[in-house]
Amino acid sequence: MSVWNPENVVDVAESIGITSLNRDVIDHLARDVEFRMSQVLEEALKFMRHAKRTTLTTQDISQALRLLEVEPLYGYESTRPLRFGEASIGPGQPLFYVEDEEVDFEKLINAPLPKVPREISFTAHWLAVEGVQPSIPQNPTQADQRNQELSAKGPGANSTLAAVSGNDNVSVKPLVKHVLSKELQLYFERICSAILDDSNDEYRAAAFASLRTDPGLHQLIPYFVQFVADKVTHHLRSLFILTQTLLENPSLYLAPYVPSIVPSVLTCLIGKHLGSPSLDGTTTHFALRDYSASLLSSIARKYGPSSSTLKPRIARSCLKHFLDSHKPLGTHYGAVLGLTMIAGADGVRELILPNLKAYDAVLQEAVRDDARAEEAGYVIDAIKKALDMLGEDHAELRGALGEVLASRMD
Amino acid sequence: MAQQPPPSRTASVGPPSAGGMNAPATTPGGGQGQNSNQNLNQIVLEYLSKKGYSRTEAMLRKESANTDANGQPIPSRVEDTGGKMYSSTFNLVQNWIESSLDIYKPELKRLLWPIFVHSFLNLIGDFYPRDGQEFFTTFREPFEAEHEDDLRALAPIHEPEHLQQNNIAQLYRHNKYRLTMSHMAYTSLVMFLEQHEREGGMVVLHIVQNFLDIRTVDRQTAGGQKGLQRLLAERNGEQDAPAEDEGIPGHNPGSANLDRNAPTVLLKLSLGPMPMEADLMEDVKAELQDHDSAHPPAGAQNTLVDEFEQRIKREPMDDVPSRDLLPFPPSTARDVAMEVQKVKENRDRFRTEGRTGGVGPGISVTMFTFHNTFDSINCIEFSGDNSLVAAGTAESYIRVWSLDNRALTSRTDSPSYQPSSSRRLVGHSGPVYALSFSPAVAIPEPATNGHTSNTTSTDSQPRYLLSSSADTTIRLWSLDTWTNLVVYRAHQSPVWDVRFCPHGHYFVSSSGDRTARLWSTPQIAPLRLFVGHDSDVETVAWHPNGAYIFTASGGGDRTVRMWDIVRGSAVRMFTGHTGNITSLACSPSGHVIASADDRGEIVLWSLPTGRLIKRMRGHGRGGIWSLDWSVESSVLVSGGADGTVRVWDVQENKELQQGKVVGEGGAGTKIDGAGGAVGGAAVAKSKAKKDVVVSPDQISAFPTKKSPVYKVRFTQMNLVMAAGAYLP
Repeated sequence: MSVWNPENVVDVAESIGITSLNRDVIDHLARDVEFRMSQVLEEALKFMRHAKRTTLTTQDISQALRLLEVEPLYGYESTRPLRFGEASIGPGQPLFYVEDEEVDFEKLINAPLPKVPREISFTAHWLAVEGVQPSIPQNPTQADQRNQELSAKGPGANSTLAAVSGNDNVSVKPLVKHVLSKELQLYFERICSAILDDSNDEYRAAAFASLRTDPGLHQLIPYFVQFVADKVTHHLRSLFILTQTLLENPSLYLAPYVPSIVPSVLTCLIGKHLGSPSLDGTTTHFALRDYSASLLSSIARKYGPSSSTLKPRIARSCLKHFLDSHKPLGTHYGAVLGLTMIAGADGVRELILPNLKAYDAVLQEAVRDDARAEEAGYVIDAIKKALDMLGEDHAELRGALGEVLASRMD
Repeated sequence: MAQQPPPSRTASVGPPSAGGMNAPATTPGGGQGQNSNQNLNQIVLEYLSKKGYSRTEAMLRKESANTDANGQPIPSRVEDTGGKMYSSTFNLVQNWIESSLDIYKPELKRLLWPIFVHSFLNLIGDFYPRDGQEFFTTFREPFEAEHEDDLRALAPIHEPEHLQQNNIAQLYRHNKYRLTMSHMAYTSLVMFLEQHEREGGMVVLHIVQNFLDIRTVDRQTAGGQKGLQRLLAERNGEQDAPAEDEGIPGHNPGSANLDRNAPTVLLKLSLGPMPMEADLMEDVKAELQDHDSAHPPAGAQNTLVDEFEQRIKREPMDDVPSRDLLPFPPSTARDVAMEVQKVKENRDRFRTEGRTGGVGPGISVTMFTFHNTFDSINCIEFSGDNSLVAAGTAESYIRVWSLDNRALTSRTDSPSYQPSSSRRLVGHSGPVYALSFSPAVAIPEPATNGHTSNTTSTDSQPRYLLSSSADTTIRLWSLDTWTNLVVYRAHQSPVWDVRFCPHGHYFVSSSGDRTARLWSTPQIAPLRLFVGHDSDVETVAWHPNGAYIFTASGGGDRTVRMWDIVRGSAVRMFTGHTGNITSLACSPSGHVIASADDRGEIVLWSLPTGRLIKRMRGHGRGGIWSLDWSVESSVLVSGGADGTVRVWDVQENKELQQGKVVGEGGAGTKIDGAGGAVGGAAVAKSKAKKDVVVSPDQISAFPTKKSPVYKVRFTQMNLVMAAGAYLP
């Protein structure tokens, strides 16, 4: 009549030396054991619920026993499943027991430490935007949610209430079109032509002034960003100023576009050939690189905190170009400059210093070549500047390295 | 009848020992004795007829007919059948209720559960364990749906001494189960029981008298709740939920006074916002004026000062709690900055209106998913300025992360400390079950270059964190030094929940010792004890004005209670949940409390009237871990163990009005009719498949990928932040 088998009580009684037990007593004890167990389970369920779990663990039982002032059971941990062994004490009388492995102490001590479990971390994503769940990898697909009851059905269901959530039966959704007003389109065309027009400086200055202060340009930002990305290789300087003016405009919120702006600026910093040497002279591009480095550092300062991967990404691409000896010296110059601006003294110590020795060979070759000696000078200047940042406590180191570099120049 | 002696055990089929002792000694010469008995009767009868005592003879004949062949009296009263009587009685009542008039059936059906429980407890108490178990297994089925937990707790009771130790049994034995029914239903019940007095009517009557507290109401005057229309709607058994005043202890709807003769007058509540300190108000006003002159409001916006004035002056003055009764430390510059920011956000916020034109608002939800947790996270909490997130673990430590990847440092760090964006707080010796940050409002850094940067200045960050644990302590942690400041010990059981007052300084905790306690951070002893719940106090919540708290319990109690923290007394009580209550949230307007249980039901209660507003279903089983309201109190959002975040419309349903409209309209009726038919089929189908039915109040539901949602929170700008652990 009780779930707990009275035979069990007999077994336990025999094990402590009581052989003759009245049948009634056995029944009574079996019923009582069942009641006590359910008491423990009731308490354990509370612990499970407050741990916001739906499975009961051995830990919950231990906690419940402690609460009921019973000594907890030791040796059962919840991390590995219990394995039951089976032994037969007669036909049709299987006996189950928990397997208790014998462990060799020597082996246990000498065994390599188990791997440290991975750290708890969190990620963020949009579960819903304005009542609609975006279909991104972090959200379940339609197929996953089929077995869940998500929307109201039945006679009382109010379909209009749920209309926004996209759970209604409308299968076709109009694509959202970005509608630009006529004025904005006109404005955009004029500004673009003004910026690309090299002949009229006044016209261009007016365009930049407008971009810098106009508060109503938010709709045009993606177009400007695209425009810069498309034309950056042709009209370096003016597009560059365009980017800067957008960044300076106090009423624009650029954070979402930073990932698309950075590549254009990086191009100006570490591009192979900037401008045409015949027109602007061979060294003018260094000024542009200086300029873009400062712009990049201001971007990183402003948006670095909101995007944790921004700085590492920039530093990585700079480092990659710095280590590539086939790239022209101008690129190296830009890369060193970028690393100095983005990563600071620590970056110089970690990223530039260890590579200087290898880079020495590249420089040496360049210094010997008359055509590139001037460029090499710029690079050395940049490296020197970077080393300056390392501060006073590294004065010795810098002195030694500086001597080496100076001797190469002579 | 009240003190009915336990029925004779002679006819018991209980344990052989019990029966054996009292069994009549059957003499070996039983047959002969019987003969002599028969003969004796014969002789006496003959003697009587000879003497002409015809009346006495008739009487003797009549009376002797009631004995069986053995001369034992045949039991005519059901009480004499011992343990069997409850089964036959219960059967009788059940059959009668099934065949009673439809309009009384829903009311009478509510009777079955308490009769079932007490029949079972009587059986066990009178030492009929076998009969008791038989009774229990035979009749438990109809109650599975609603009283699953209670059944589970009652099932293992076998012995009278178990009655003393089982919480549920004690609860039912020592309290009266309150039930409300209409006059007519009650009268017909009593008439039926009296008619069938011999077949068990008295047994039921005995239970009703001793353990039930039946209130009768007039159906006409009661209206609404007990109205005919409501009853007819419930006839299909779709809404088989307990009435809001049913159960133990039951209550006068809205009042916390349990006395039978208590007047139905409700205590008046001061639900308005807490008035501001005079000094603080001056400072805030001055600050706002500065802001207005520096940044004149654009376009149609109000000036900040106007906004502030509106906010203060909106409430009538008799509705607000008195500030004198609830002392707070004097305000600081940080308080001023926080208040100023609140006013600003109040003006600039994206408003979430209730359903506009019948369409629910679109809500944006950011989900923070925790990985590699191995199910060890017990609770997650966001700070008020959205800069920190904390998680309490089963391994007794607390871990705090900064959401914007900022390093969490302190001035007391040793120079060798590697700053990182997370810190561990170690101190508890048991699983951590609840966390609460001291109030904070995100104060953006003075805008540089016009860009309001997302990084918040460090001085807006909350300064304290409270945690509660299974080791029965509550700990206060400093977020400046990242160390434990105070240990509060007074609870005798695991502390399930702890919440900071919306104005800081005070906090309230709830525990397995069936109490909730009010503390102030500088004192290590509790200031108030809130006693009254009959089982674990599972969760607590504050009223937004800080003058009241709400507690909710699970186990056999399942009530939500509202307490005045100044007087320490209960002012409202709400019953009607069928599962353990897992979370509570009071609307920012201060007039509605939402409570959710682990059976996936959310219930809204009105505070001024103390009545149930509506029940909302949709979540799967397993607990709704968190609730929160939008700042305008127009939308409720919930997250639970089924891995969904759901958005609910909180407007009161006007079912009756809708019914009328259907009656009137031409085309409207048609559409409604068709929709109803199709919907009905869908319900029937889904019911067959699964037991979750989504109520029409749900605006939307967002499933996650295998991540139970532990926490949902509306920010001051009406964005929802949700957090959960990914459990592959």
